[in-house]
Amino acid sequence: MFYRAAGIRHVSYLQTRQLWPLPFDRALLAFIALLFVSAPLWVSPLVLNTYLMPWLLWTSAALGLNLLMGGAGQVHLGYGAVMGIGAYGSVHIMRAGVPFELALLLGGLLAAVIGTIFGAAALRVKGLYLAVSTLALQYLTDFVILHVPKISGGTQASLQVPTLRLLGQPVTSDTGVYFVALAFCAVLTIFMLNVKRTSFGRALAAVREKDYAAEILGVSAFRYKLLAFWVSSFIGGVTGALYAFCYYKAVSPEQFHIELSVQLLATVIVGGLGRVLGCYFGAALILIAPMLLNRALAALARGHGSVIGTDLVTHAPLILYGGLIVGFLLFEPLGLAKMYENLRNSLLVWPFRHTRR
Amino acid sequence: MTLDRRQFVATGLGATLATTLPLFPGIASAQERVVKFGMCQDFTVVYTFVTAEYSQGQRDYFTLVNERGGVAAPGGGWKIAADIVDTGNAPQRGIEAYERFKREGVILVDPLSTPVSRALVSRALQDKINLVTIVSGRSDAADGSAFPYVLPLSPSYWSQAAILVEYMAQQDKDLKGKKIAFVHIDTAFGREPLPLLQELAKRRGFELLPFPYAPPGNEQSAAWTQLRRAKPDWTMIWGGGVGQTVSVKEALRNGIPADRIASVVWLSESDMKVVGNEQAKGVVKVEVAASGREPKILQDIVREVVGKGKGAGPQELVGTTYYNIGVMAGAIMVEGVRRALEASKGTSVTAEGLNEALRSIKGFTAEGLIPPLNTSKTDHQGGGMARIAQWDGKRWAAKSDWLAADQDVVFQLIHASSAEFKKTGT
Repeated sequence: MFYRAAGIRHVSYLQTRQLWPLPFDRALLAFIALLFVSAPLWVSPLVLNTYLMPWLLWTSAALGLNLLMGGAGQVHLGYGAVMGIGAYGSVHIMRAGVPFELALLLGGLLAAVIGTIFGAAALRVKGLYLAVSTLALQYLTDFVILHVPKISGGTQASLQVPTLRLLGQPVTSDTGVYFVALAFCAVLTIFMLNVKRTSFGRALAAVREKDYAAEILGVSAFRYKLLAFWVSSFIGGVTGALYAFCYYKAVSPEQFHIELSVQLLATVIVGGLGRVLGCYFGAALILIAPMLLNRALAALARGHGSVIGTDLVTHAPLILYGGLIVGFLLFEPLGLAKMYENLRNSLLVWPFRHTRR
Repeated sequence: MTLDRRQFVATGLGATLATTLPLFPGIASAQERVVKFGMCQDFTVVYTFVTAEYSQGQRDYFTLVNERGGVAAPGGGWKIAADIVDTGNAPQRGIEAYERFKREGVILVDPLSTPVSRALVSRALQDKINLVTIVSGRSDAADGSAFPYVLPLSPSYWSQAAILVEYMAQQDKDLKGKKIAFVHIDTAFGREPLPLLQELAKRRGFELLPFPYAPPGNEQSAAWTQLRRAKPDWTMIWGGGVGQTVSVKEALRNGIPADRIASVVWLSESDMKVVGNEQAKGVVKVEVAASGREPKILQDIVREVVGKGKGAGPQELVGTTYYNIGVMAGAIMVEGVRRALEASKGTSVTAEGLNEALRSIKGFTAEGLIPPLNTSKTDHQGGGMARIAQWDGKRWAAKSDWLAADQDVVFQLIHASSAEFKKTGT
């Protein structure tokens, strides 16, 4: 049903290499893209700039981390710090008078340089050991930001972010800022969808599966491990900067603490390692679900004010949230994206299940 | 993985459930004559019981006001409606709650969290919504000309540190040549008093010995071993939550006399119970509102709210430190509403009106609960007065009168920091 594969014949190489060979997939995607683009028309500004925009930016961050974790198989526990370096870097660079576009790129480059230096640990260690080495990046970044008033912004450790200016035009409206985030996320998504099909992506996959086997095949593990950290840290840095410019409007150290790193890790894992769609689902669950649960409980409490106490209203969302994460992972350990894939696979042949395999 | 029918149905159900979640409506009460406050506070991560007790005091006070018919005004009283949301101390959840409040007509937001309030500053200034940051938030917001809508309305951390030093000077007659150890959590909040203390060290001639410990502070032994070697005359502890009890315990273990341990405002009856009521006898701290049930306002709450079973939490917490700070916050907010109504002749309370009112409070003491609060367009701190309280084994007993100290140095720092904000803030 829906995903009808009958009658599709590939007559050219270009056609076989399409990202979405099924017409239904393309239509669905076009519809979703349309929904995103038209969101400012039918969604309230509240939803637009407190749910949709942060969701897109988190998805972007998760995509960057996913390239490293799902694509190249390298664990990173300091991705929040990488975003922080990008944010602080670009804010300071822009305050020094550099235009926004350049400041964004320079912030990303700064994050890429520092991220790659710490990523170099990946050349020697793997798995949990690498996780601990990247954790060092997190703590060192926190420490440096906090202890250098020039970076943190003085005794109050709060740094005001200059107005976002695209090509000299100030972007301040909810809609404008949303489109900046949307454009970035869209470009990144297209990049991620295609990167797996490039020599770079295949080299990362080879390194992920077995680095010395990759070396024997002629893929330099040294080069591609560092490149993976470089690309992923650059994306993290730019995302962190956009997060500051579009959303926070004032950066302070606790915005990029270990909590963010762990949450992003959870986003990638719950969404599904190596899956682009998983980042969207994961970010929705990890970032948006607690807010909505909170809202739902608060709405419920307002109806039955005396029955539900504040303690319950404030703690119950956490319980539900934890339950959701555990529940989804028990139901499908490969992540939320895999759940969608299962649904799609079963719809591909439904109602003739016996035709599969 | 193949999908059997049961799994298929469950997936479908799960997906449907996920899509219906965002549809929960935010029910807005459309009653007339209601002033809406938004309390987006941290009940679950860092502040936890501090927020719970603070919020209990605040809500009990609002109940008291509402039970008496609301804030009096010609044509009928105005009720206070406070919406409570947990932020888990996460800036993005604070922003989410704030944005929602803004659209629900909330005119005052109280995050009781430094990280969240710092993230809200630029939005509050832009949207003209009163951001009350009693005993939290940016100290430099005391400069009302730079932060018109950010209202600390309480002695800043700088003022608190100055008062502690003043108390030490009073006890020792002279601080010249003395050593003051400053044991602090290594975060922005813990490091904040450093520039002030350095300045005071120059002025009063004492030697400042800072000892940072890593957050969250349940492991501080390294700092205290060093401190013992330095043999300080006074030990000032600066932290919050679990770090504070660990600090007091470590200080006592390292042979610091209890009455030479001086703390920031964040030390409560519950903390003392953890340390040991008897062992902690003599510890002093800054107190921004009287503790205990003696102040008239507390007696009213006990009689008219708690006594009638309308209290918002456990009865034994009524009159404790954080509870009373909550009452103080509630009382100042309500005083603002009362003055705003006075100005508008009872017709309306807008964010602007409330702002005007909160920035022109004169001599407000909440019936003896707090020192006189005098705010102005340039001073949002309101005098910077607090007092020293000492733990006597059962309760925090007042050890000094309400006092303010070295406000010139405090305001020097405030203006230096706010000038920077004015210059670069957008």
